[in-house]
Amino acid sequence: METVQNFPAISILLCLFAGIISSGLKRKAARWVNILLVVAVAFLSIYTLGYVLATGASYVYVMGKFPAPWGNEIRVGALEAFTAFFFCVIMLLSLEGGRKKLADELEEGKTYLYYVLSDLLLSSLLALVYTNDLFTAYVFVEINTIAACGLIMIRQNGRTIKASARYMIMSLLGSGLLLLGICMLYDLTGHLLMGNIREQVGILSVTGEYHIPLLVTIALMSVGLAIKSALFPFHGWLTDAYGYSTVSSAAILSSLVSKGYIFLLIKIIYRVIGTEVFNESKIINILFVFGLMGMIFGSLSAIRENDVRRMISFSSVAQIGYIYMGIGMGTKAGMEASVFHILSHAATKSLLFIAAIGLTDVSGGSRKFIDLTGAAFRNKWAGVAFTVGSLSMVGVPMFSGFVSKLLFAQAAVQNEIKMLPALIVLGISTILNAIYFMKTVIRIYTPVEDLKYESITFKNMRMYAVTLVLFIILNVFLGVSSQPVVDLIGQGLAMFS
Amino acid sequence: MYYMLYAICFPVLTGLFLLVFRGLKNRKSLLLFTAAALAGASALVVLALCLGQGGMLTLFNLTERLPVMFKVDGVSVVFSVMTVIVFLCAGFFSFSYMEHEQNEKRYYGYYLIVFGVLIALCFAGNLITFYMFFEALTLASLPLVLHKGGREAVMAGLKYLFYSLSGAYSALFGLYFIERYGNTLTFSPGGVISAEMAAKYNGLLLGIAFAMLIGFGVKAGMFPMHAWLPTAHPVAPAPASAVLSAVIVKAGVLAVVRVVYYIFGVSFLGGSWVQYAWMSLTLATVFMGSMLAYREPVLKKRLAYSTVSQLSYILFGLSVMDKEAVTGSLLHVLCHSFIKAALFLCAGGIIFRTGKTRVEELRGIGKEMPATIWCYTIASLGLIGIPPMGGFVSKWYLAVGALGAGISWFSWIGPVVLLVSALLTAGYLLPVVVLGFFPGEDACPGGWEKKEPSLLMRIPIFVLTLLSVVAGLFPGPVVDYLSRIIEKII
Repeated sequence: METVQNFPAISILLCLFAGIISSGLKRKAARWVNILLVVAVAFLSIYTLGYVLATGASYVYVMGKFPAPWGNEIRVGALEAFTAFFFCVIMLLSLEGGRKKLADELEEGKTYLYYVLSDLLLSSLLALVYTNDLFTAYVFVEINTIAACGLIMIRQNGRTIKASARYMIMSLLGSGLLLLGICMLYDLTGHLLMGNIREQVGILSVTGEYHIPLLVTIALMSVGLAIKSALFPFHGWLTDAYGYSTVSSAAILSSLVSKGYIFLLIKIIYRVIGTEVFNESKIINILFVFGLMGMIFGSLSAIRENDVRRMISFSSVAQIGYIYMGIGMGTKAGMEASVFHILSHAATKSLLFIAAIGLTDVSGGSRKFIDLTGAAFRNKWAGVAFTVGSLSMVGVPMFSGFVSKLLFAQAAVQNEIKMLPALIVLGISTILNAIYFMKTVIRIYTPVEDLKYESITFKNMRMYAVTLVLFIILNVFLGVSSQPVVDLIGQGLAMFS
Repeated sequence: MYYMLYAICFPVLTGLFLLVFRGLKNRKSLLLFTAAALAGASALVVLALCLGQGGMLTLFNLTERLPVMFKVDGVSVVFSVMTVIVFLCAGFFSFSYMEHEQNEKRYYGYYLIVFGVLIALCFAGNLITFYMFFEALTLASLPLVLHKGGREAVMAGLKYLFYSLSGAYSALFGLYFIERYGNTLTFSPGGVISAEMAAKYNGLLLGIAFAMLIGFGVKAGMFPMHAWLPTAHPVAPAPASAVLSAVIVKAGVLAVVRVVYYIFGVSFLGGSWVQYAWMSLTLATVFMGSMLAYREPVLKKRLAYSTVSQLSYILFGLSVMDKEAVTGSLLHVLCHSFIKAALFLCAGGIIFRTGKTRVEELRGIGKEMPATIWCYTIASLGLIGIPPMGGFVSKWYLAVGALGAGISWFSWIGPVVLLVSALLTAGYLLPVVVLGFFPGEDACPGGWEKKEPSLLMRIPIFVLTLLSVVAGLFPGPVVDYLSRIIEKII
């Protein structure tokens, strides 16, 4: 076995250890450990990606020396390695962009805890991405939930405590359903490793035995993960959690945490249940319909919102709807579009959150639209970044959002039954997105006469501005040269089965 | 080959420079910079037209099957020449007009960017490139609508934005399908839909064609998506209204030309329900636009309604899909842009000197600013279509084309609507002339004060008016050129 093959396991363990060590460190040291960790994991992941692409095949890594039906396994393919790398990049940028705010909003002496939680969160995300074992997946889902709750609650005020309690309850409900699903699957097949379950499920579907229990299992797991990733009717927890937590948390939660669960769902569809069985079940249509409804209702709620952070949060509901719509199409093209949108939305939404905080900071900390008037003149970098994020969300060419929209539509055109609803809702949702994002952009670029608030210059926010520029570059990169990424996703999905 | 790229990038970059760069506080240096940028950009466009003919430039690939590419053909020449002329005239007019407006620098910045985007639209070589710049045009021209600020401008801007984005999505909807069912997305004379595909997916493709026509028709103010135009155009400063009404709406016309003649092809669309539905919509718009203009008391709004009506003349000609009618359409593209720009600049001159906006306030305006109102009169006669003005020739071709084409009873109903609308045009444009030159004995006992606008404002108006007359007196070379383009596509 080559050394590279150890890297995914090493990066997960590295995150766990970093978390443990940081709990005994001071603020600054913990910060550096965190930065080094994320960078190191990014490098390990990209190296792994290179290895996988060079060999052209995925590999299974056995933890410890226990063989197949009992041991714990990690599976590494192109998509896993790339997603891990991408998650690291977004995490680094999100933390960097909210660093200053973090110091203001967190209680003195608690900052190191924030980094402990981030390390743990990264470890669980990596585990969700790499695992080949459903029970391990469940364990890390719980670690993820706890870390995410901590990230919401660490900024102590009434709103965040309420938000994290809500998040906790909904999230536990979700993981409970997932656990039920896993238990039933274990009962039906007698395995916990993904590959083995898949074989058994294949046999079950051929013989037609346990048809209804299998359907229920699929439903339980899909709905459990849908709750955790805030698919439309289960999104109640989302706005408060994203809207009131400190900005880095909001960016990480919206662009990574929910995406980790979706990634797990995609993995379950491909590796546990099998695309054929999943496509034959009715669950796929339910996901499709919920996705479509999310696209519309999320945007409608966002339009009514008078608070910029909550508006961006509601827009997440709509974007998650896009992703589930792609999954619900049940085609390879649809899935590719969904995975691309996971990346594109992660890049855009964290940009929007980080840019929004720059705008609210120069408006006396108020998030009401009326106070944001002219904010883009007071903080020019944040203004430009917010505009770029908005244009990407609306789906203007040259930005990443357009490519996802294009991929979704191309996928829809290939599916004759779901084509019309998908395209129509895509259209309506585009217009609705334009309504609230462009409204905000016009608002922040409307000049005001009385200079109530002070402007901020580049000198006072170097790191922040650099982060924004990196985010913009990432967005434009995904929008302009998407083909390599799309190819990579296609290759990665092919490795799944 | 790269001349095309220079012609697009230069105005966009200079515009961005104006928006970002803090200097140029001095008004004179700002104007000099803008004038130089406009002149340089125009020269580059001319250079690109002369040297880039027939060439093709692929910039990069958006995805594997979607290259961003530019090329220059006959249609590009017609539209870009029109763009250059109107932008130069309106630009020089703004140097004087914008003196009393705020945020001049921002205005010139976006003005230049819009110029670059329009040139990019003219040069776009395939549908995806066109769509990209079509969206960019909406976003870049939005600040011109929003320029004055305040609630009215913002509401008008939002209306403009939503109509345009809905239209663009409807067009994008078609793009998805053409990417799948067509041979290529590159504009090719005669269309890209193979006969086999056309037969197999006839209903679907026709539906898509209609969606695209409606979608791109939004920019050209075609019924039922015309309502944004009379709201958005008049709130902009007068020179911006001039380019909005004379050039930017023509992007919609250009889009329709590309979609009908270079994507679907006449052989596919001719005689189908799409052609008849589209024709009915354009005729309805022609009539309705004129009626609404006739009822409208505010001069700039009246001119905007007139744009709705006149653009559908052009679209009607295109929908006939007959050589003569299309010649008339393209000729009317040129004539209408010169005339409408001249009219809006006249309205701007009136507002600048007297602050009057409503038609009934303009009593005696011809005594106060005779040169301007004479230009207004000549341009109006052109728009009505009285020989020997430009509008006459284009409408003549439109009517002859419609009568000769095999489009059943539309052959005569079309020309009738055009004639009725011409009467209405006279009805809504000439009251200004009548009131202006014949105010009545008792209107101003103290004698008329001369209020002629400055030379910098008058010259662009003269030039545009002159061009509209010249187009009517010597249409020969232009018609020849147009018929050579049309040979290839019909």
